[in-house]
Amino acid sequence: MYNKIIKNKQIAVIIFAMAILTTACERDIPYYMNFDSYAFTSTDENGGTWSHILPTAGDITIDAPSATNSVEYLAEIAAMKSAMQQTTPEQKKAIEYWTNNPIIRWNEIAVELISKYNLIPGPNADGTYTLPNAGNPNGPPPFPFANPPYAIRALAYLSVAQYDGMISAWNFKYAYNRAAPYQHDNTIAFAYPVNTIPSYPSDGAVIASASRRILSAMFPLEVEYLQQKENEHLESLFLSGGNVQSDIDAGKLIGNEIATRALSRAATDGMSKAQTPKPVSDSIKAAAFERFGWQWTNQENPVRPVGLTPLYGKVRMWNVANVEEVRPGPPPAIGSVEYLEDVKILKDYAANVTSERRRIANFWQDGLSTFTPPGHWNRITKEYLVAYEFNPLRSARTFAYLNMAIMDAGISCWDAKYYYHYPRPIEMIDGFKTIIGTPNFPAYTSGHSTFSAAAAEVLSYVFPEESDQVWTWAEEAANSRVYGGIHWTFDANVGMEQGKTVAEYAVNRARLDGAD
Amino acid sequence: MKPSHPFFRGIFLFLPLFTVYDTYAQTPNDAVMMPLGDICILLNYDFGSFDEYWEGSKLRENATIAEVQRKTILPMVAVGIFKNANLYVGVPHVSTRSTEPNGGKFAGVEGFQDLGISLKYQALRKKMPGGELFLLSSVGFSTPASNYLADYMPYSLGFGAPELSVRGIMEHKWNNNMYFRTSIAHLWRGYAEAERDYYYSDGSRYSKYMDVPDAWSFEGVIGFRALGNSLRLELIYAAQRSSSGDNIRAYNAPQPTNRVDFDRWGLFAQYYFKDIKGLGVLAYHNRVFDGMNTGKINNTGFGVTYQFNFKKNEHVQ
Repeated sequence: MYNKIIKNKQIAVIIFAMAILTTACERDIPYYMNFDSYAFTSTDENGGTWSHILPTAGDITIDAPSATNSVEYLAEIAAMKSAMQQTTPEQKKAIEYWTNNPIIRWNEIAVELISKYNLIPGPNADGTYTLPNAGNPNGPPPFPFANPPYAIRALAYLSVAQYDGMISAWNFKYAYNRAAPYQHDNTIAFAYPVNTIPSYPSDGAVIASASRRILSAMFPLEVEYLQQKENEHLESLFLSGGNVQSDIDAGKLIGNEIATRALSRAATDGMSKAQTPKPVSDSIKAAAFERFGWQWTNQENPVRPVGLTPLYGKVRMWNVANVEEVRPGPPPAIGSVEYLEDVKILKDYAANVTSERRRIANFWQDGLSTFTPPGHWNRITKEYLVAYEFNPLRSARTFAYLNMAIMDAGISCWDAKYYYHYPRPIEMIDGFKTIIGTPNFPAYTSGHSTFSAAAAEVLSYVFPEESDQVWTWAEEAANSRVYGGIHWTFDANVGMEQGKTVAEYAVNRARLDGAD
Repeated sequence: MKPSHPFFRGIFLFLPLFTVYDTYAQTPNDAVMMPLGDICILLNYDFGSFDEYWEGSKLRENATIAEVQRKTILPMVAVGIFKNANLYVGVPHVSTRSTEPNGGKFAGVEGFQDLGISLKYQALRKKMPGGELFLLSSVGFSTPASNYLADYMPYSLGFGAPELSVRGIMEHKWNNNMYFRTSIAHLWRGYAEAERDYYYSDGSRYSKYMDVPDAWSFEGVIGFRALGNSLRLELIYAAQRSSSGDNIRAYNAPQPTNRVDFDRWGLFAQYYFKDIKGLGVLAYHNRVFDGMNTGKINNTGFGVTYQFNFKKNEHVQ
């Protein structure tokens, strides 16, 4: 009997320990970054004088606001206060979610949509492929396929519109100088840390409207979802005690005007021609073969007839006048000593997958169904913006230069990819296997490397203290492709130089925009 | 001494595909108990493959991965540690690959999957009119035995998370050597650790942890014994239903967060040699016939068991 008790006790202990090991550590797997609203490190009174990105952004105007002692304004204040008193718990949660730097949230929404739409169309039953079509977004397949070139373009237009919108907002804020409602009426409890930035027009509303418009154009199936997000955001601005309705209306006006200008650039930037028909793609390939004696060919089954956006290299750049200006020299000839050395390195990596190389390959993979490498760098940037307590104007500026630089780097990279049309390791090395997926475009240069070096260059400029860190990461991202078996070392190394060179154009422009 | 053989049944109950590699923690799901002091050693080889899988509930092929193959070698030890309790310990060694040609050119992987420990306890054994009734329960725990990457599907060795399973088993044996057994288990799964800190699972997820869905597991078995208990044959229906999880996205790789359901039938046979004390062989074949987010996998296995009693230092039967 005594033995039996002991025995049962032991069993109970074992079961209990197992239960703890399996289930006791319930984890929080967040859908967005958890951070509290913070006091901004600067107000940037002269922000309205900073240089716009879009040439037509400076001609947006809004009417002067009503005076703070006017009947009209006092009625607005009263309406706001009364609404604030009826705030529901759900609305309180929304106010907390949006924070006083909603640039972060709209960027998160953008990268989430990128992840959602970053699915490559599979083959049809007869072995053909149907490409997403902006004219019929429902598909199948749904539009868009948010691959890295598509993703960074969406992010660039989003960020440029936000930044130009912020400059306009700052311009009128300090021109009209109407202080925030809680500065006039100390019974208003502002939901966020107080500041002295004038509230007309509402910078939050500029961000909400501009972001909703840009993302709706980039993700046409999400129009309803985005409108809902904008409505929630605008309501939060009102209920936070930071903006009366006329602040918000003026902000919406600027946001919409800016978005129209940004989208008109997007409509003519050459993206609609980037995905070519097969004859064009074939002639690009033939030209490379004639020039260099090599060519990249898709290895999928069934073969994809056209690589990803062969003419993305012709898309209009933000800060580089001519893409050939930044085109790198040719890769090593197939069979050359340098090439053979690389074959050896790649075979060695494939035969010896260390846990560190595997970790790096996976950490930076950012492949299908993810936010892509540009999204990854946006995520890193977002964390710095919060850590450095940037205001929305400076946050927008950082994202704008970051995403312009990454997009330009991508354009330059694609120019090199289809100019050189260099084959992938799986085509050249017999029986070669990879630990990450080989993408549907030529190898040289590596997109990850150019994107990442461009990002590191801009982030080093904005956050000099983080320079070592961001360059370490960029190098890791570049090497990750070689570790994964899908790129040659020279794809990565030359791509890094290329990305840095391209981003210097953006940084040189940023240095002169009046913010420093 | 009464033969106490065929307890290695339902091996690879969960071999099917993407996340459900775990098998082993489920193993002790029959009604047979080993006597105190008995040890049984199993060495099992399993080959599973699929060239179609369910993306959500849509059955499809994918030339990127062509046919995915999985070989598993499972060494396992069972011990009659107490009069009414058996302990099982094992760790499968798995290797995966795609057949050629395939469009993806992905490297397969190999290594030790999950270390599993389970304990089976006989709660009731009762003579009934015309037969006998058994009630048992088993508790299992498994956890990755190597640093394999779960987020490398469909090649990954396992789903990469610890699992606790609790199973209830009921068997009725008729005097004519037929028996019927049914069992139900709940599988609590922890988190798989990815090597990235952002992934998509019905929205952005800012974490390296992937929540592997808990699941219910069912089994119904009709069996019979022949040749004076030396041969045992079973027809098995097995099923799993995840309690949560997302679908495999279009033309995309599976991931540990997927809702994995399946229905499967199988045959199992075990034979104990009369001339060689303690030696037995087993064979089985399973076919998944319906599912969600899982391969339409068929698997076949062979095993050798050797049983002896360490206390008496003599072979059992």
